[in-house]
Amino acid sequence: MKNPYEILGVSENATDEEIKTAYRNLAKKYHPDNYTDSPLVDIAEEKMKEINAAYDEINQMRNKGRGSGSNNSSYNSAGYGSTSSSQFYNVRIYIQRNMIDQAEQILDTTPQGNRTAEWFYLKGMCAFRKGWNEQAFNNFTTACNMDPNNAEYRAALNNMQNQRTYNYGGYNQSNPNIGGYNCSCCDICAGMMCADCLCDCCRVGC
Amino acid sequence: MFGYLQVQKSELLVRELEAYKAVYCGLCKQMGRDYSFLTRFSLSYDCTFYAMLLMSLDRSCTGFKDGRCTCNPIKKCKYALSDSDSYHKAAAFSVISVYYKLKDDISDGKFFKKLACRMLMPLFSHWRKNAAKKYSDIDKFAEQMMDMQYEAEHCNESSIDMSAHPTAFMIANLFSLEAKNETEKRIYYEFGYHMGRWIYLIDAADDITKDIKNNNFNPFVNRRTGEIKSGEYISSVLNQSLARAYEAYNLIDIVDFKGILDNMILLGFPNVQNKVTDKINTEANNEKSL
Repeated sequence: MKNPYEILGVSENATDEEIKTAYRNLAKKYHPDNYTDSPLVDIAEEKMKEINAAYDEINQMRNKGRGSGSNNSSYNSAGYGSTSSSQFYNVRIYIQRNMIDQAEQILDTTPQGNRTAEWFYLKGMCAFRKGWNEQAFNNFTTACNMDPNNAEYRAALNNMQNQRTYNYGGYNQSNPNIGGYNCSCCDICAGMMCADCLCDCCRVGC
Repeated sequence: MFGYLQVQKSELLVRELEAYKAVYCGLCKQMGRDYSFLTRFSLSYDCTFYAMLLMSLDRSCTGFKDGRCTCNPIKKCKYALSDSDSYHKAAAFSVISVYYKLKDDISDGKFFKKLACRMLMPLFSHWRKNAAKKYSDIDKFAEQMMDMQYEAEHCNESSIDMSAHPTAFMIANLFSLEAKNETEKRIYYEFGYHMGRWIYLIDAADDITKDIKNNNFNPFVNRRTGEIKSGEYISSVLNQSLARAYEAYNLIDIVDFKGILDNMILLGFPNVQNKVTDKINTEANNEKSL
């Protein structure tokens, strides 16, 4: 197993405070919320587990024994299981396993009359996994319009909206809803960028 | 589709900027050695990004060497050294992609452009043959992309997703080559897919005016109705590709050149994107006021 200090990217002489900061930054970076619906969500979860274990181990080694952020690991994909009664149960399983071709095959053979909001949602999810963002966006929108009260469809659409309005270096940052869960470093960077832009304006103005 | 993968110079540390330039110069030199003096002029920022990413992934940068620029002997410069085939691979990719770009321009360019491309073609087809001998995978991906692109543009119901897919798929495969295990492969594929998609779409967004004038295919222009997508819409499409590329990028353990690569993906690329979308917005406003 890898050295827990290496996993957190700190030296063995680091202070408790430094380790905590490093852990928090990594936990923010790999947080499964950042990977909602992404095909890489399981990898992010693995990383999260790895840093949780490393943080626990360091704490134990230092005889602190205090609780770590391992309660974070409860974030394990809460996504699908809840709707096992769904008519597209198999499709959901295939999507969960990243077997998009099989999932799409079932969806495509569904007769027009059975194409419910859930059908559009799952069709959108397949497209999203493939990276076909526009198709995914249209399907999620349709799903939400057909069933406006469904939290699952709404969450998928919101996730898309966040990505679409997120412009790292740019001026879109002024909207507080955007990228709320992203690291503060980005905000600082963006702030500096804006300040820089303002400076440029002044120079041109003068 | 060249030159969109830039750094934001003003935000780099001095040593990072030096390292970036050293990779650029190192690649330029290697292109001269592997192919010809002339191929040096086809060096793009995109291939520099590729070389830098390769060197970072296999941690092959062993240091820097002082030297002189071969194109301008008065200018002193540093070369980044690599003990793997990163430079060779990036040089091969550069030559191969220029070859296919020329081929594409010959098939749908204007008269003078066609003529110029025809003249360069024999040279590049010779170099491309050499590159393909060593890196048959890269050549295969590029060729496949050209075929898929033709199909996507000539199909009746072409969509943005469909027309961006060939480039995205090519870059995804290209990056996947570097993976050492299944997990890495998935991450690199995802990163490459969204990077490739972004590159294709930003190139398309940049060319909207030109394509309308020459009546060429453009994914943001509806062929039947002539309707052009708004700047706002184009921004959101590009934002999403970058956001998803960044997600995947975050899962890669990058150590070497981290500052530079972070700078590119968080500042350099969005900056290029904002310039392109600003241009579209100004053009749209000008049209309105006329």
